[in-house]
Amino acid sequence: MEPPTHCRAGATLPSGQEFLQSFQHRIARAFAGDTFEPIPLRCQMAGAGVQQPHAGAQAGPRVHANWSPYDDNGGTCVAVAGNDYCIIAASTRMSSGYAILTRRSSKFLKFSDKCLIASAGFQADLLGNTLYYKRFFPYYAWNLCAGLDEEGKGAVYTYDPVGSFERVGYSCQGSGKDLIQPVLDNQLRAASPLLLPAKNWMSSLPLDQAVDLVKDAFVSAGERDIYTGDWVELLIVTKGGIRREELELKKD
Amino acid sequence: MSIFEYNGSAIIGMAGKECVAIGSDLRFGVQFQTLATDYQKIYRIHDKLYLGLAGLGTDAQTLAARFKFKHNMYKLREERDIRPSTFGQLVSSTLYEKRFGPYFCSPVVAGLDKDNVPYLCGMDTIGAIETAKDFMVAGTAPDSLYGMCESMFRPDLEPEELFEVLSQCLLAGTDRDALSGWGAIVHVITKDKTNSRTLKGRMD
Amino acid sequence: MVGLGLDLSVLENPSKSAATDAQLDGLSVGVDLGMQSFPLPQVHDLDSFEREVMEYVKPSHGTTTLGFIFQGGVIMAVDSRASMGSYISSQTVKKVIEINPFLLGTMAGGAADCQFWLRNLGTQCRLYELNTGKRITVRAASKLLANTMYSYKGMGLSMGTMVAGWDATGPGLYYVDSDGQRTKGQVFSVGSGSLYAYGVLDQGYKWDLDVETAVELGRRAIYHATFRDAVSGGTVSVYHVTEKGWTKISGTDVGELHYEYYDNPEKHPCNGTQPI
Repeated sequence: MEPPTHCRAGATLPSGQEFLQSFQHRIARAFAGDTFEPIPLRCQMAGAGVQQPHAGAQAGPRVHANWSPYDDNGGTCVAVAGNDYCIIAASTRMSSGYAILTRRSSKFLKFSDKCLIASAGFQADLLGNTLYYKRFFPYYAWNLCAGLDEEGKGAVYTYDPVGSFERVGYSCQGSGKDLIQPVLDNQLRAASPLLLPAKNWMSSLPLDQAVDLVKDAFVSAGERDIYTGDWVELLIVTKGGIRREELELKKD
Repeated sequence: MSIFEYNGSAIIGMAGKECVAIGSDLRFGVQFQTLATDYQKIYRIHDKLYLGLAGLGTDAQTLAARFKFKHNMYKLREERDIRPSTFGQLVSSTLYEKRFGPYFCSPVVAGLDKDNVPYLCGMDTIGAIETAKDFMVAGTAPDSLYGMCESMFRPDLEPEELFEVLSQCLLAGTDRDALSGWGAIVHVITKDKTNSRTLKGRMD
Repeated sequence: MVGLGLDLSVLENPSKSAATDAQLDGLSVGVDLGMQSFPLPQVHDLDSFEREVMEYVKPSHGTTTLGFIFQGGVIMAVDSRASMGSYISSQTVKKVIEINPFLLGTMAGGAADCQFWLRNLGTQCRLYELNTGKRITVRAASKLLANTMYSYKGMGLSMGTMVAGWDATGPGLYYVDSDGQRTKGQVFSVGSGSLYAYGVLDQGYKWDLDVETAVELGRRAIYHATFRDAVSGGTVSVYHVTEKGWTKISGTDVGELHYEYYDNPEKHPCNGTQPI
């Protein structure tokens, strides 16, 4: 376990990683149910973990001078939805400031859902509420929720830290988003889903090309973003199941 | 909001095979209000040398006027056009003169040097030169532009390919930036001519 | 789009409808609806903490929305851009929130605040229907939202919304914001681009407009706002509310709309100065 980084108050704080896990458990709990058929749905955290004051702080207001409950651990994740697949990828470096805390930290969380007929909309909604519940002390995390919807089409939901969300054809979150998002726009943008008369708003890129695009995007981001590097982990969801791929990025 | 983001800008310079291109968006705004959509941020120094000035509009205009003057003086003395690399040094030293009260501009210099070798450099506000063999960006959304260029650029592009790549980078990059866009202009400098074209972009 | 098993009896007998504000107070539909309460950070100064936190998380902002009542019902028109600072985080935000087949809400300010509380309003309105057996009035629905907003006053919520719809009293349009303000009106525009939209709207608005002209007025007002306002853009969506409920009339990409309005870029009023 990595040491806590912003611990100036002498308290024992959970590291970003620990907190991230506790956040993931929280979501997992929200989705927990009996084990019917597990559906291919994944959720990933980009950016950051939150460091919370230790339990003693609950007793009453305690002021820590120069201490912030927030830290940014960097990292980038990308999700692309296709007609019959969904790709989710995330870099594995975790940093704090200029320091690399670990080169191998997975940003994925896999959870089962109790029911196949629950629409992706409902699950997305639930994560939206989980985030909004902390509206006044937000989780400092940018989420992508991705998988296949009830029709077997790829689905990507993108969230802001306080729970506003949207279903999109592709998305990028985290420290490298400014670098990657315009590339995805350029290669994948289809008509706006708000158009009336409606047009197809999902990219029709074949799976292998989409995988290459995601890999290229991470290689490019690795050139300019100090928080994106080491490895990128890709999970490819199709109706046949989940395939994992890995690509090595620059270590600098 | 930073003073560099007061007017909004996006500039890309890109090198090809015996050619170089430089393009900018066309927006002139005051913070989030768009005032004009035909505001060029690239200034012609001579046939084979262009200067892009991103950042605060008023400083960019002042600088452009100073460089025009300096180049005119140079031509009178030397009886020839200035070389791009020399001009890069001139821009740098002019900016460093104001080390403790800088112009709020980041320049991009693009030109063809001797034997039509592309010259490309960019700088911070106080003149620290960074030369590049591939591309150089400046403006209010450098990350978006870098992301595009990093993915799209290939070495030794022909003029028409260079135009296409730079245009795609500029349009896709500015589409994610609220403060730049509203059309673009791209100059492709080759050994016998400069081809300047305006691009239709999203006007929002 | 209409129906969905709602109690429509109010349409046959208008006298049954229109809950007054006083009636609402006696109902059990309150703010909480059994929702978990929001945990607060243990800090002395909540206000400055919230301000600091918002610097970190930068929720989506920037919008132009408008709504007006005319002889043919209510028109609602919105853009679809969300930005974090100057970065455009989305061009495809759905800023008209369909509360139920007769009620619409619009979204300006914090995206999460608007989405969450208008979803919450939808729940409250449905509970009201189940409790009373009649459709909620626009007046009552907007009051529910305003009450919620007032109870969170000073905690950093950010939203400026219009609640519009049709009830037994006819078309209704209210402005509600996170300060707890609630105003009835005929013409509203909300968001960073609202001043530009007002310019077009006030110029073209008349009570007697036919539906087609009214829809075009809404679309044009939003288009002009997206042109001038850097943080508005994307797609213009126009909704029309009548006694039969709301329908979405159009969704147009501004990227194409501009060149429909100005097919020759050189003739655009913003072009024409000599290049330097």
